[in-house]
Amino acid sequence: MQALLNQLGISLRLHARNKMALLYSYLFPTIFLVAFWVLYRFEQVPLVRHVGELLTVTALGGACFGLPTTMVSERERGVWRRYRLTPVSTATLVAGTVIARYLLLVIAGLLQLVLAMALGMPVPGHPFELFLAFTCVAFAFIGLGLVIAMMADNVPAVQALGQCIFLPMLIIGGVAVPLASLPDWAQRLSAFFPGRYAVEALQACVTGNGLGAAGFSVLALVLIGAAGCLAGAKMFRWDAEQRFSATPGKAWVAVALAAWVAVGVLAESQDRKPKVPGTLAAKVPGTLAEVPGTLVQPAPPPVTTAPIQNPNPVPEPAPAEIPSDTSKVPSPTPSKPTTATEAPSAPEPPSRSTATPGTSPPASWRDVTMADIERDLIFTRLPPDSGVVTPIAPLGEEPDENTAAQLDKMRLALTDWKPGKVADPVQRVRNFLFVAAVPDVFQMQDLERFVPMVVYERIQDDIPKDDLIKILYWIATHPFDGDDKAVDELRPLGLFSGPADMEQTRGRLSVYAVKLLGRITGKIVPE
Amino acid sequence: MYVVSGFSRTCQNEPMPPKVIVQNLKKRYDGVEAARGVSFEIRDGEIFGLIGPNGAGKTTTVECVIGLREPDEGVIEVCGIDARRRPREVKERIGAALQTTALQDKITPREALTLFGAFYRQKAEPAALLERFALLEKADAPFDTLSGGQRQRLALALAFVNKPELVFLDEPTAGLDPLSRRELHGEIAKMKDDGHTVLFTTHYLIEAEALCDRIAIIDRGCIVATGTPRELIARSSAATTVYLATVQRLEREWLEQIPGVEGLSCEGTSARFRSASVRTTVAEVMKQLEIRGIEIAELRVSKATLEDVFLEITGREG
Repeated sequence: MQALLNQLGISLRLHARNKMALLYSYLFPTIFLVAFWVLYRFEQVPLVRHVGELLTVTALGGACFGLPTTMVSERERGVWRRYRLTPVSTATLVAGTVIARYLLLVIAGLLQLVLAMALGMPVPGHPFELFLAFTCVAFAFIGLGLVIAMMADNVPAVQALGQCIFLPMLIIGGVAVPLASLPDWAQRLSAFFPGRYAVEALQACVTGNGLGAAGFSVLALVLIGAAGCLAGAKMFRWDAEQRFSATPGKAWVAVALAAWVAVGVLAESQDRKPKVPGTLAAKVPGTLAEVPGTLVQPAPPPVTTAPIQNPNPVPEPAPAEIPSDTSKVPSPTPSKPTTATEAPSAPEPPSRSTATPGTSPPASWRDVTMADIERDLIFTRLPPDSGVVTPIAPLGEEPDENTAAQLDKMRLALTDWKPGKVADPVQRVRNFLFVAAVPDVFQMQDLERFVPMVVYERIQDDIPKDDLIKILYWIATHPFDGDDKAVDELRPLGLFSGPADMEQTRGRLSVYAVKLLGRITGKIVPE
Repeated sequence: MYVVSGFSRTCQNEPMPPKVIVQNLKKRYDGVEAARGVSFEIRDGEIFGLIGPNGAGKTTTVECVIGLREPDEGVIEVCGIDARRRPREVKERIGAALQTTALQDKITPREALTLFGAFYRQKAEPAALLERFALLEKADAPFDTLSGGQRQRLALALAFVNKPELVFLDEPTAGLDPLSRRELHGEIAKMKDDGHTVLFTTHYLIEAEALCDRIAIIDRGCIVATGTPRELIARSSAATTVYLATVQRLEREWLEQIPGVEGLSCEGTSARFRSASVRTTVAEVMKQLEIRGIEIAELRVSKATLEDVFLEITGREG
């Protein structure tokens, strides 16, 4: 025990004295985070949505490069050989090194979280479970790091091997590039990489329903970590002179890899859809294709509305380069961290529907007719319900236990919800729709797909059908009207308070308005 | 008196079992037999030198004994413990300094001694070791700022961190400057005075001759000679060399006839030969010179050194 504590203490102290190691462990993750924030500062990409990926990259870097680099360089210079002259056991030394690395990872993770919160990220939904998830992630990657340390004969080999795992995991493993934007084969392949499970488990504890909702990911991480640690122990080498190719236990690499394959096959057999919708590189601002303009039918004569209309059918997770819609174009000025309450001051999109010559748009929601709906709305161009933007769970699908419980609470809370009692029916419906739009913006896994139907039930109970049709049309075509104070009153419903980007939120709200309008009028028949 | 003292010595030695027993040690790697049946014993309290040319199997032998390598065959007993079956017990009682001891760049001598001390049941005070090995002023300096001599002294200090009964030093003086080497010789002599048993390997034969109580010469994976330095020299046919220079010319014929003269080389007024019985041979040479009226310019008798023995046995330079 004394040996373990001493070894642990020395490992930590030496780490603190090693500038390169500090750079890798702490500066890189910080730069990563700050870069993310700087890049998307004006786009209001919710950082909270990407914490899983950032933490995964941190853990991966520290465990895949930091740990084996330390171990291999110590072995190369003969430190481990010198240790071997003492009666201390291999297990003690390795445990000291591994625990030290785990603590370093936890510190780096905490640093990243604190910094993220300083940049405006809300407190993670399940902090303690996040800690547990991070521990599982660290365990999985440390196992991986041990295998690399035993396979690599020297430090350059660590870099080479590490990159072989790091880069594919980032690109096609669901860590840095959104799974949804990858081709099908890559999505399937990602099931065989631990990175994806790491992101899922961590993100579930930040914006999702906690670890309970990420059981498979936790299992996958623990399995991969255990196999890595076992293989690392079996292949342990004291001496740099002993090459990996001459190590008797080298076949144990197969055991470590077998865990990846087993997890992948298991995932495939369960046909697990990637749970992580958008990720670092691509879940960028442009996801705004959903802003209402696209849904509004171009009127027969050339549209004279001020803003350019996005001619594309609503793409799924829109890549960043798609021109943002109207409401974004005129406002690239950096000084605009729109807070929820300021949002309505944005340009006035309603002008677009009023300026259509030839047909006279309704002057008030009470005047809306079916003809208006037929003319102005395109139900076939909506983002798919199974997509990332404005998802709605299919009718038959049951939420998991946690989600179901949360939804029940929400149903109950909605009956007493203050913004659901305001006198103006349009504002009331608008408020209810915010309840669906906010989880979508935050991409709260599971929940975001089920809330819309809860809201749908609620507004159908609340507003007569004919009025509801008119109101939904009105909201779809006037997304920037009314106030949005309701987004700051979501806590009683078990949701985070509103996202900073109200344009995006209002955009989602109008898409949901169309989707629900389609359902109530029978224009959309859900599967 | 002689008989009594001899007897009492035997009595003292008998109950003390050897500190190290190695029998028929064999180790082969990559098709090369590094040790081909090495056997030797180290007695309690002695300084034992293992010498041999590079690649003779010195390091392999030592590494097997201290538990760094698993031998293919053979018996190794250290401090009465079967080292192959209970290597950890053995490691508790021995200290070792390898040819090169490299530690982490940023670890300090004090930290290293504390860390390594924590690995043992019995431990020496780091401060005492720092003082003993003249490392106090560098006690808190990172390892990468230490000189070669300081690193070597730290390696020795680490070998003593568990108050060992037995110390293994593998080429401790290799690569050191003459001053550091002399300091180290002093340290090794002190170890013996403190009652430690020491095994060290070297290829500096003068060092071995000066420091060791007993020496084993290893060559091509086998021990080829064991004994005190004096015994080895006496046993050697290299014997003593005689150099002779005269005023008048010397003739090879009569010199060759003198009993005991071996390996004669003779040219003009000088000659050189070896003899196993110098006194009688030289007396005979003097007599013959007297008879022939040859005056001596110089006569020098030079004792064989360990190096001569070594060269004779191994046929190579150390």
